Amino acid sequence: MSNKSDGIVEKIWDIFSSMKTGLVLLGIVALVSGIGTLVPQVSLDPEGADAVADIWKTLGFTNIYASPWFQFLLGLLCINLIVCSVQRFGGIYKLSFQPKPPQEHSALPQKIYSQVTSKDGEALKQRTQKVLKKKGYYVTQLEKEGSWNFIAQKHRLGNWGSFVTHISFVILVIGALIGSLGGFKGYLMAGEGSVTPIQQIEISKGQVKDDFMVKINSVEDRILPNGERDNWYTDLSIIESGEEVARKSISVNHPLTYKGITFYQASYAPGGLFNVKVKGEEYPVVLQNGGGNFFNAPGTNLFLVMSAMKTDPQEPVILYQVFDETKQVKMGQLTLGQTETIQDDYSITFEKAAGFTGLQVKEDPGVWIVWLGSGLLMLGLLLSFYWRPVRVAGIMNLEKDHEEYELALGAFTGKFNMGIKEEFDSIVAELKDVNQVTK
Amino acid sequence: MGGSLENLEIVMFYIMVIAFVVSTVLYWLGMAIKKDIINHLATFAAIIGLIANTGAIVLRWVITQRPPLTNGYEFILTFCWGIVAIYLFVEFRYKFKALGSFVMPVPFLLLMFIVMKMGPTERVSGAIPPALKSQWLTFHVFTAMLAYGAFAISFGLGIMYLIKTSANTNEKNTKDSWLSHFPHENVLDELAYKMIGFAFPMLTLCIVTGAIWANYAWGTYWSWDPKETWSLITWIIYAAYLHARLMYGWKGKRAAWMAIIGFVAVLFTFFGVNYLLPGLHSYA
Ligand code: HEM
Repeated sequence: MSNKSDGIVEKIWDIFSSMKTGLVLLGIVALVSGIGTLVPQVSLDPEGADAVADIWKTLGFTNIYASPWFQFLLGLLCINLIVCSVQRFGGIYKLSFQPKPPQEHSALPQKIYSQVTSKDGEALKQRTQKVLKKKGYYVTQLEKEGSWNFIAQKHRLGNWGSFVTHISFVILVIGALIGSLGGFKGYLMAGEGSVTPIQQIEISKGQVKDDFMVKINSVEDRILPNGERDNWYTDLSIIESGEEVARKSISVNHPLTYKGITFYQASYAPGGLFNVKVKGEEYPVVLQNGGGNFFNAPGTNLFLVMSAMKTDPQEPVILYQVFDETKQVKMGQLTLGQTETIQDDYSITFEKAAGFTGLQVKEDPGVWIVWLGSGLLMLGLLLSFYWRPVRVAGIMNLEKDHEEYELALGAFTGKFNMGIKEEFDSIVAELKDVNQVTK
Repeated sequence: MGGSLENLEIVMFYIMVIAFVVSTVLYWLGMAIKKDIINHLATFAAIIGLIANTGAIVLRWVITQRPPLTNGYEFILTFCWGIVAIYLFVEFRYKFKALGSFVMPVPFLLLMFIVMKMGPTERVSGAIPPALKSQWLTFHVFTAMLAYGAFAISFGLGIMYLIKTSANTNEKNTKDSWLSHFPHENVLDELAYKMIGFAFPMLTLCIVTGAIWANYAWGTYWSWDPKETWSLITWIIYAAYLHARLMYGWKGKRAAWMAIIGFVAVLFTFFGVNYLLPGLHSYA
């Protein structure tokens, strides 16, 4: 678009200001994304991804969406969009807010065109303005050299549709980037009654900066009367310097957010609550079914796990095992309230069934930017497709020809012509109608 | 819940299947022998089918007491509803019936898929996992229905366009051929554009509401699973259509091909991902 494409900077600018570049980039993004659904991805299918030949792994094909060159591609697309938007801003602004009425008849649209005549020029002019305003047009007019020229625009904010759409895409990508660089992602599997410092949850990405406690008050696997699962519920408290600062019963689809950290109910596992006595000390211990966790009796090398459980609500039965390092030294079965002595000064009592809750814990500082981008994206598309601008322009000679004043007017056709003709015809019909009344 | 509602739902389903099959055949017949009465009957059958389709959906809603948008069978019912409802709207609004010959086969084939590939256990509403209990899922499927419905219409228009123009260039005697009921190709082209212009924002809203739902349910708004990725690819194809049309004046033949390819991508997102790619997305 620029004439002085001599310097390297101008050349690069030209490349990035071209929509052709944009379409090519979009095409590559689509292609690469498609390839990513054929090659197993580390994030979704770790074993499959591991089985892929090394060369593809090195090139990032098994982690395609997080690979640097995919992000580079998105970066180029964003630069492209920004450059295009910068370049188009002035034009869209002028078109929307400082439109120029046509100077000559030849500048009027020809395809959708009509003429209205009247004996009273001033009245026709007034009527034209009135009709257009009534129909929601914003009229810009100019009177000079014996002619009255106007341009009228309806839905002029529609001109901003593609601009807003493009910028919002960039915002989305920025939000996603911030989310991938900052924040953390973790998982907490905890039993009823447990209190876990947020710093100690299992982290798969990023770092936890805050410092508070997560208390699991209760866990429920709620079943409806018809036997279907309603949801998993966790009554969760956040404790900061000894005080409860937030509490909510969360369930799948109903998370809790505290200080930007969100707790999502992700899974549930049955477990049991035990009262363990070791050397005169009592400990409440919650063990997860299937050996998900263990209890190391203080001052010993003994590890207690619960290897199986019959989760009958009335009569739960559990199977426990005790290991010395890796060697099993004891195992047995306990019903509700039953006590078993493991060693001198070490006994366990099965007190009740107690659920384990699996929580996805996440801090994503970019997520609000993503929602902002999504909102603007929708706004831009609504403006583009449901708020189409219509532009009508006209010229009336202020000198009479043949006893009559003549108003020539036409509607601009854009990317979209259906409906514009009808709209234009209704304007003309109204002008003519009024005209007859004034005659 | 007595079994009678379930039985009524099944009856509705089969009325819908029969009506859409009959409608498709009548549209074809109407195109071949050009009798208005046959075209009217075809429209009538489509309306009956739509009513039965609505009945099946409402009954399922009453039986399960939640929006019936949670398994493959229910999605196909909504998908068909979207296509036929938008098709009938277009037929009444723009008054051309030849389009039915190219749109009605789509719900017809979708239903054949249910009849032949889905056993009774896949059709009943089973227990749903807690993740599917979300308002956002309802919005998500509702917008998908509108978007996919309108894309299906643009697909039919694209095919009509290609047939019409190839017949024109073959210099056949188009006056009294079966093509004479086709509207002018520019009308086909522009209407296809109008459909895509309606559907593209809907598809975007569908993707956005899906992301919101995923974020509530799993704490990730986008995880690049194949279904999400293919919806993005579909989105890019239609975005390319819009840009190419606007800037390079890609109308007519090339636009028609893009409308067809776009809808193939829609179908692939809907079915291919579940049946052709290594399975991941568990809920159809
Ligand atoms: C990221 C995906 C993109 C989306 C969703 C998008 C969306 C849109 C939409 C909705 C329009 C209006 C189309 C219409 O009214 O028919 C548009 C127009 C346009 N787009 Fe994009 N676009 C994207 C990428 C790009 C890229 C990469 C470029 C190149 C720099 C670009 C350049 C343009 C231009 C120049 C127009 C013309 C606007 C006009 O004259 O009205 N777009 N875009």
